[in-house]
Amino acid sequence: MGLNLSIDTAVPASSAFGSGGAAKVQRPGNQALLEVRELTVSFPGEGGSRSNVVSGLNYRIEAGETLGVVGESGCGKTMTSLALMGLVPTAGNVSGQIMFGGRNLADQKDREWRRMRGRDAAMIFQEPMTAMNPVMTVGRQIAEVLIRHEGLSRRDAADRSVGLLEAVGIPSARRRADDYPHQLSGGMRQRAMIAMALACKPRLLVADEPTTALDVTIQAQILDLILELQEDTGMAVQFITHNLAVVSELAHHILVMYAGRGVEYAPAEKLFERPLHPYTRGLIATLPDPDRKVAKLPVIPGGLRSSRSPGCPFAGRCSLASDICRAAIPPMIEVEPGHHVACLKVSQ
Amino acid sequence: MLRYTLSRLSQAILVTFVMSFLLFMLIGLMPGDPLENMLEGNPSLTPELMAQMRELYGLDQSVFARYWNWLMAALSGDLGYSSLYFRPVTDVLFPAMLQTVKLMGLTLLVSVPLALLLGSLAARKPNGLIDSVVGVFSFASISLPNFWVSLLLIILFSVKLGWLPASGTPLSAAPSALEQMRHMVLPVAVLAMFHVGPLVRYVRASMIETLSADFVRTARAKGLGEGSVMVRHALRNALIPMVTVLALSFGSLFSGALVVETIFGMLGMGKMIYDAIGNIDFNLALVGLLLATIVTLLANLLADLAYALLDPRITL
Repeated sequence: MGLNLSIDTAVPASSAFGSGGAAKVQRPGNQALLEVRELTVSFPGEGGSRSNVVSGLNYRIEAGETLGVVGESGCGKTMTSLALMGLVPTAGNVSGQIMFGGRNLADQKDREWRRMRGRDAAMIFQEPMTAMNPVMTVGRQIAEVLIRHEGLSRRDAADRSVGLLEAVGIPSARRRADDYPHQLSGGMRQRAMIAMALACKPRLLVADEPTTALDVTIQAQILDLILELQEDTGMAVQFITHNLAVVSELAHHILVMYAGRGVEYAPAEKLFERPLHPYTRGLIATLPDPDRKVAKLPVIPGGLRSSRSPGCPFAGRCSLASDICRAAIPPMIEVEPGHHVACLKVSQ
Repeated sequence: MLRYTLSRLSQAILVTFVMSFLLFMLIGLMPGDPLENMLEGNPSLTPELMAQMRELYGLDQSVFARYWNWLMAALSGDLGYSSLYFRPVTDVLFPAMLQTVKLMGLTLLVSVPLALLLGSLAARKPNGLIDSVVGVFSFASISLPNFWVSLLLIILFSVKLGWLPASGTPLSAAPSALEQMRHMVLPVAVLAMFHVGPLVRYVRASMIETLSADFVRTARAKGLGEGSVMVRHALRNALIPMVTVLALSFGSLFSGALVVETIFGMLGMGKMIYDAIGNIDFNLALVGLLLATIVTLLANLLADLAYALLDPRITL
């Protein structure tokens, strides 16, 4: 797929984003750009208890690399990315470490978060219609980031936003910059969102299901655009999706989440070649194959439910589950170099 | 936009005509007629003389004929004579209108920004400390009778402390601007307080909803400061539904003005209409009520135009 992007191979400036996003990265030793350790996000539940939406998550992303985070709705993917941006709703509590460029974001002050967001790390969202301010022109919404982080004047920022809109492939960008979000099509809006996110050449882009609300051809275009921009800028991407097929096209590593926990974490090729966790296998098995005619699409039986039982959260839906699975939560174990899995049946 | 405005204006004119007829009929239903009221207790008035006077003033004609006569006169600029003030209606009306515009205008200048500020602060942390304080204030303002609060304020600021005059109208013939403002402080404070109460609840609800919108999260994700997120992104959007609420609140603001004008002895529209009805001054009451109708219609039209201005998704 030719996705082996490192800073050294990053294509030099050819667009408004230019290169050098990766050049900002200081890397003492072999530290990753982002390293998440024991990330837990909890919310107050009934009767004063706290329930974990994300528990004890570990992963890392190298500069210029893409991590795909996969799981079904409600598994904590979005909350994980909000934690990276310091955007967890105020009721939520974040613990653990989020090491980004050598700093722990988890104990960062609000002011430092605001300086970082949009500049060092940026985020794009699932629904570009609701994610943009309906009463502000697209150009102005992009210019805002540049004014905030690069201290540009209104006029310079407006010019730069037109350049950015061109770079994400929006035709007659100068005119489009004066449009309001509702005047753009879904795909155009997502392109504009990307332009907004990448305006300050962040080192990390958190993409929360950016293609889910788009139709399939537009999906492919947006994925291509993200890949292309990643090549130009050398940014790292955390790509969240419930769609394994999407992630297979762009991720270097994949983290599979289930009920707020990481269940399998491996390089992408390894995961597709030899999925170990029963849940991952189920996900891959349910990918529709156009060459194979089936009467009924395969499903993973059961549904996600908040189990109060102490064991493996997937045990209730797992065909391999036995009593030991229901006794304790299986730890994440490196079963072969780089391939981690949290399943007692596999690691035994 | 122009076509829309014109068509709405012509609708408003039609409604004004219909309303003028309805008001004419309603006022005609009031007990007593102008002559009885004017000449009441005059012992030298015989029933024959009374009938003659009725004929002279056209009061013996049908209500439709009388309405037609009034309408024709009104359209030619003659709004009649006030039987209460013994002056042409226009001479009484315009100073009163000016007074009310001043009172309501100043009130809006205070109440709208205050409601936006308090509502937004309360919405930032629902059920937090600020929200609770603002909530108590707004329910107090909704439930306390405004004449009572006016009296309390007069007792405190005019009688006990002596800081502000108890009346809304300066006594001297040519009061300075400062003097006029001093007299407006208490009336505006009372009226604004009663306007802010319900408004704050709406702003708060609208802001809470807007603050949970995705685009507010996007604004935060861009690293914008809290002020910019609250004002440029959230409040700007929360304002749109407020336009309707504001236009609808004109009616209650007007009736509030009536009470405030009466208590603080200000000769405004509210007081004028109130006195006119109480003294069966047909001409004055009719024109006063009609004017209130026209103001309401215009406020609604302005609200619709403001929608198009605030929300680019709406084209007229």
